[in-house]
Amino acid sequence: MAAKDSPLKQFEIDPISNIELGGYNISFTNSSFAMLITVLVITLFLTLTVNTRSIIPSRMQLISELMYNFIAQLLSDTVGDNGKRYFPFVFSLFMFVLIGNMVGMIPYQFTFTSHIIVTFALAAVVFIGVTILGFINHGIKFFTFFYIPGVPFYMHPLLIPIEVISYLSRPISLSVRLFANMLAGHTLLKVFAGFVVSMPFFTGVFPLAFIVALTGLEILIAFLQAYVFAILTCLYINDAYHLH
Amino acid sequence: MPQLNPEFFVSQLFWLAVFFTFLFVFLWRVSLPRIATVLEKRQNKIDENLSSAKELQEQAMEIEKKINDRINKAKLETDEKIKETINALQEDVSSQLSSLDKDLEKKVSDAEKEILKSKDDQMKNINNEIANITKLTVGKITEIELSDNEINKVIETHKGSFN
Repeated sequence: MAAKDSPLKQFEIDPISNIELGGYNISFTNSSFAMLITVLVITLFLTLTVNTRSIIPSRMQLISELMYNFIAQLLSDTVGDNGKRYFPFVFSLFMFVLIGNMVGMIPYQFTFTSHIIVTFALAAVVFIGVTILGFINHGIKFFTFFYIPGVPFYMHPLLIPIEVISYLSRPISLSVRLFANMLAGHTLLKVFAGFVVSMPFFTGVFPLAFIVALTGLEILIAFLQAYVFAILTCLYINDAYHLH
Repeated sequence: MPQLNPEFFVSQLFWLAVFFTFLFVFLWRVSLPRIATVLEKRQNKIDENLSSAKELQEQAMEIEKKINDRINKAKLETDEKIKETINALQEDVSSQLSSLDKDLEKKVSDAEKEILKSKDDQMKNINNEIANITKLTVGKITEIELSDNEINKVIETHKGSFN
């Protein structure tokens, strides 16, 4: 547990209501609350803005359509026609991470994407799903994924373990990338927020100005990390279709 | 670091599963099909408008072609008419010219005849005058009365030397 004024205090989980199921603690926490807000924002926004289904869209409807087209384009660029059936999943993943990050940018609001267990669970779903997909598409031949063609035979004892390790580390890199970005950004904001309070006289405005600039950067990173998460998912799906 | 505290791992995973599953199913079944219908509807509308625009363009091109054809036809007809008129006029002019020529020729030949006739008349008069003068002169000089026949005879015989 961090100290009371630690910049990491913001990541502490506080149960809102204690629930226990089958001996497990499944309390509804501030993290769960952030997820609830995220899901509500996404579903309400995407439903209400497209409610009129008008051919000439309103501004809000245009935003929904832009998001739709953004991910649809991403999938068709990386995976091609095969990617269409994974569109709902990739879209949900992107929106969940994006809005989760954005909700986290609201002051005093919890950021669930800054928790490794959450990001790892999402990455694990992608990893396991893609691996199963690879075996469905290629059967036992999926193992040739680790065999790089056109390389001298004596290199294979070295390359195949490297390929296997890099494949297995995918969920870790995917989850740690998002987690670390969120953790670092929010910690940095908190550290500079502490400076605003602790610096003498009016000099506190400098860290305050820095916080303002950093908030802009964090919003960019929030989008960027969601995009990276989505595009890597697309690339992994593509790998499950097209081996080397 | 609170992230590594396993106390709430199960809770996190449970609520993540609940909310993400709900989000996924909701987007998959409700939101995304709605957006897809809108996009499809718009694409259909655009395609429809494009095809009707293409049709209209084709019609316009056809009309333009017809207009051009008519203009060309009219031009050809006008050319033909102009040619015909020019030909008719030329014929008219040439016929009028030839009739004028004929008239002129006739007039010239008439005038020539007149001139010849008057010349003959004059010559006859001259002969008569000569005879008269000769008669008078001879009568005055020689007091010989010469008959007209005699004088004419003499004149006839010497006519060539007068001219």
